[in-house]
Amino acid sequence: MQWVNWSDALLQFLWVSSNVLLLGLGVVLWRRGLYREFPCFFAYVLFEVAENILLYVLFKTRVSGNHYAYVFAATLLLSIALRFGVIDEVSKNLFRESQFLKVAARRSLQAISGLLLGVGVLLAVLAPGNTSARWFAGVTVVNRGAAMVQTGLLLSFLLFSRFLGMSWRRHAFGITLGLGIMTSVDLATYGLGAEFVSWGWTRFLNLTITGAFFVCTSIWIRYLMVPEPKPLSVTVVPDEEVETWNKEFQHLLRQ
Amino acid sequence: MEQGISTLAPAMIAAWVLVAVGLSALAILLYAALRSRTRPGDLERAVQAFRALDIQAFRNLVDFSEEAFLRDHLPPRKFRAIKRQRAWAAFLYAWEAGRAAAQLAMVGQAAQRSSDPTIAASGAQAAENAFRLRVQTLRAGVILLAGVLLPGLQSRPIPALVDQYERSAETLFLIGRGSSGSRGLEVA
Repeated sequence: MQWVNWSDALLQFLWVSSNVLLLGLGVVLWRRGLYREFPCFFAYVLFEVAENILLYVLFKTRVSGNHYAYVFAATLLLSIALRFGVIDEVSKNLFRESQFLKVAARRSLQAISGLLLGVGVLLAVLAPGNTSARWFAGVTVVNRGAAMVQTGLLLSFLLFSRFLGMSWRRHAFGITLGLGIMTSVDLATYGLGAEFVSWGWTRFLNLTITGAFFVCTSIWIRYLMVPEPKPLSVTVVPDEEVETWNKEFQHLLRQ
Repeated sequence: MEQGISTLAPAMIAAWVLVAVGLSALAILLYAALRSRTRPGDLERAVQAFRALDIQAFRNLVDFSEEAFLRDHLPPRKFRAIKRQRAWAAFLYAWEAGRAAAQLAMVGQAAQRSSDPTIAASGAQAAENAFRLRVQTLRAGVILLAGVLLPGLQSRPIPALVDQYERSAETLFLIGRGSSGSRGLEVA
């Protein structure tokens, strides 16, 4: 009983404080003019604030479970769509400086998206969910598949950039990191939720997801509050060094 | 009962796969976050990495006429063994060239953000060439690995890798010359 009270209090604290942080994040995005660079992310943040307020009010006013589930499902689907928009925005930001990568990366990402979608569908067939309400199980499966695709895409960005030697802009990296942590925790908790269906586990997983959201919001705030670092300074070095490089390269390439 | 267990098993496997994928992704993300703090562009390292590669040796290793000569003059078993060794050596070259290209890309991008338009333009060109080279090395690596695994197959041409490598190295030199007059630059 004590655990229930304690976890309830923690859950509510995380839920409310995440929302307050999100609101702060919205203000930061607005005041720094970052909403122009990341309009979809800005819309996502505002939407999440509105969604959480609505769900909190419904939770507090003790509406029926069915009504709560309908609202939850509808807002969840919209949230998924917005997250895809944010991922698209991050990819454009990441590849914007290279014409070659814009084309090459688009093709690769299309292939990866197709592959991940296939895996998501396969998982939906293999593990169709355990909720009694069939429509809600469907929503859960869609959410799980989306989390799989989104996690895969965000990881691909990180691996691509590492492989190609691409440097991230701090803001885009922060958004990717936060969203990636959120979707990967979602994915893991769906897996655990399918295996452990007891009431205690469900509470624990809810707490984990809410806690992860709190962490992600903090990461976004942290990365978006700090201004982009100035470009690395370019210092002049002695002329002989350049000549030496020249000779070395000539020797290397023409021998 | 047995039927129940058999339908349950894939669901259980799928659930644990999700857990594993989610936790692995989380670990990679955290690793990336920690690594992102310690990756400055280093022109010197890029130059050294390029210097360390013997382009001529690589050319010889992927030369069709040499391969044809070996095929014609060696017994098949011996030819396959040598072909495998040559393909592996060329693969290592491609691997290192790719790493050098990634270094160059970082330097190029840093230079691209310079307030000096000449340096910025050189940086953009260097980064673009380096990205191309990196992708080419990946494609070449796949072809060369196929040569290691299946040495009996006729080799496919390595996709313009040498030319791309040369262009990248030349651009790297141009960055070096990019600052005023005859003086070079490095990214600090």
